[in-house]
Amino acid sequence: MTALIDARTIPDGQVLTPDLAIVGGGPAGISLALALKDSKISIALLESGSTSFDPEIQKMDAGAETGVQYAALDAGRVRAMGGGTNHWGGWCRPMDAIDFEAKPWMPHSGWPFGRAALEPYYARAQALVEAGPWIYDQKGDAMAGVTGPVLPLGAGGLYTSWFQFSKTRDSVLPTQFGHRYGDDLRAARNVRPYIRATVTAIRLAANGASVDHLDIATLNGRRFTVKPRMTVLAAGAMENARLMLASNDVISAGVGNQNDLVGRFFADNPIPRDVATLVSFAGPLAAFYGSNQTLNDGAIMRATFAPTTAFRRKAQVAGSLSTVEQAMELDETGKAAVVTTALALGVNAANAQAYSLGCGMELAPDPDRRLTLTEEKDALGLPRLKLDMRIADEDFDRFRRTLTELGRQLLASRTGLLRINCKNRQDWLKVMDWGHHHLGTTRMHADPKQGVVDADGLVHGTANLYVAGSGIFPSYSASNPTLNLVALTLRLGDHLKKVMA
Amino acid sequence: MRRRDVAAALVAAAAAMTAGLYRFTDLFVKHYAPTPYDDLLMRLTDRGEAAKLGAQLTGSFDITAQSARLRDIFRRQDLAAAANADIAAGHLVEVGGWVLPETVALLSALAARV
Repeated sequence: MTALIDARTIPDGQVLTPDLAIVGGGPAGISLALALKDSKISIALLESGSTSFDPEIQKMDAGAETGVQYAALDAGRVRAMGGGTNHWGGWCRPMDAIDFEAKPWMPHSGWPFGRAALEPYYARAQALVEAGPWIYDQKGDAMAGVTGPVLPLGAGGLYTSWFQFSKTRDSVLPTQFGHRYGDDLRAARNVRPYIRATVTAIRLAANGASVDHLDIATLNGRRFTVKPRMTVLAAGAMENARLMLASNDVISAGVGNQNDLVGRFFADNPIPRDVATLVSFAGPLAAFYGSNQTLNDGAIMRATFAPTTAFRRKAQVAGSLSTVEQAMELDETGKAAVVTTALALGVNAANAQAYSLGCGMELAPDPDRRLTLTEEKDALGLPRLKLDMRIADEDFDRFRRTLTELGRQLLASRTGLLRINCKNRQDWLKVMDWGHHHLGTTRMHADPKQGVVDADGLVHGTANLYVAGSGIFPSYSASNPTLNLVALTLRLGDHLKKVMA
Repeated sequence: MRRRDVAAALVAAAAAMTAGLYRFTDLFVKHYAPTPYDDLLMRLTDRGEAAKLGAQLTGSFDITAQSARLRDIFRRQDLAAAANADIAAGHLVEVGGWVLPETVALLSALAARV
């Protein structure tokens, strides 16, 4: 079994020549290495961090921000083996077919392929994230619904959809890829996993058409080279863009940035809290609305309210997943609203129970929500990032229309009532939180003028440089990205097996 | 006086007192001064709660126009039917953020303003 190789022990000036260099040991990088495990492709998996959190290494992620208040750039990610899975919540849900479509009401939306292209990979992705048997919306009502009643919403724009969760350990942590798959990586005869190996530059051939080699540095001053046949950037949406923009010795705009797209279209899933108050006339909701429930077969599930495809088209709204946060007491106006409405409808609301709702939203793609480089540099000389974070009023308006429809359905089915708590932009921003789902900075598109990578993840204009992960999502969905980016990465694995054979 | 007559008199007195309390105090039921809109407000089972809700409706509210509108609605259907028709048609109004059938919102606003 190969141990993880500490790059600080690699002699200065050494040149490593694997077939494939994977830059980043997060869920994308590890999934790709596992997909190619025991193939004839020799792999160097280059992780900048260690096997656990190291504050000195983490400092390299710090950056600047303007615009809407957002999490510090070094707070929403983890530079360590396992990457973002070291601090994720384990929420899993496959993207809907409509998430892949170009939607006329949402400029720049749409993937170069439909959900069918990912279908063959979801089962393996589900196994890697350890989210149990595939249930979700296909069987959620039938399987989780036996533990309590699904809230009747009747015909309309929203329905009860289902999250599944990565397996928790000791009731605390979902699958952390670095710890969970460390032994598998070490056991693979064709994978050499390096830690503390930071790629500081992508060096292109003189004609700019391919990667010649990668510069690697460590915090103890070692510098060496990796000269692979193929390279996959899997360092996260922020770091991939940073590395491409900073590698500007051959193409002055940066690698893959001939059309000024690298770093643009950054996105995250806003998670505003307490956006609405939902009242159930009949009393408490089933437990699966407000907390994770473990089924007999080991699946961990939680219900959410999702817009249907038909409603998204008709009302021109984005994806959103509204979840019940906690039970709450109503104020006098709330009690009056319940009494008056229930009496008007002829419904008994004597046992009515109110809940706070939170949400995961999808943002519309915005080229001006972007990452650029600053003059400031990190300990290894790489320019730091600056994020211009934006969220449009239309993003809030779309979600508001969705909440209004949920309110209408509750009334129509005589099951409850809804209060929308945010009236204007200031209200929304006050309750804003973020998913730390970094998306979109190296977007996929068949046209090089509209995307950094093609449908396979190959950087336009280069012969041997790919990007993996949620950074290539051209539009985003409200579903948490990990399951989906793992499926997308497994698809890349199949592609690489073909082109590297 | 026979014991039976005394008992009957006490019962009658208690009934009269209860009726008086019901009619002339708010002990059993809230009483409101007559208004030109009582034919509309009588449709509210709990006018006090409706008034609390309706007070949250912001913006201008033309009582004459809105009461005429409500009378027109109630000529055709009762409150429950009107509310259901609003819901089906998407005629919803936010009152203090609560998403309500328009008829319920207007009637509550009327209750708050008389």
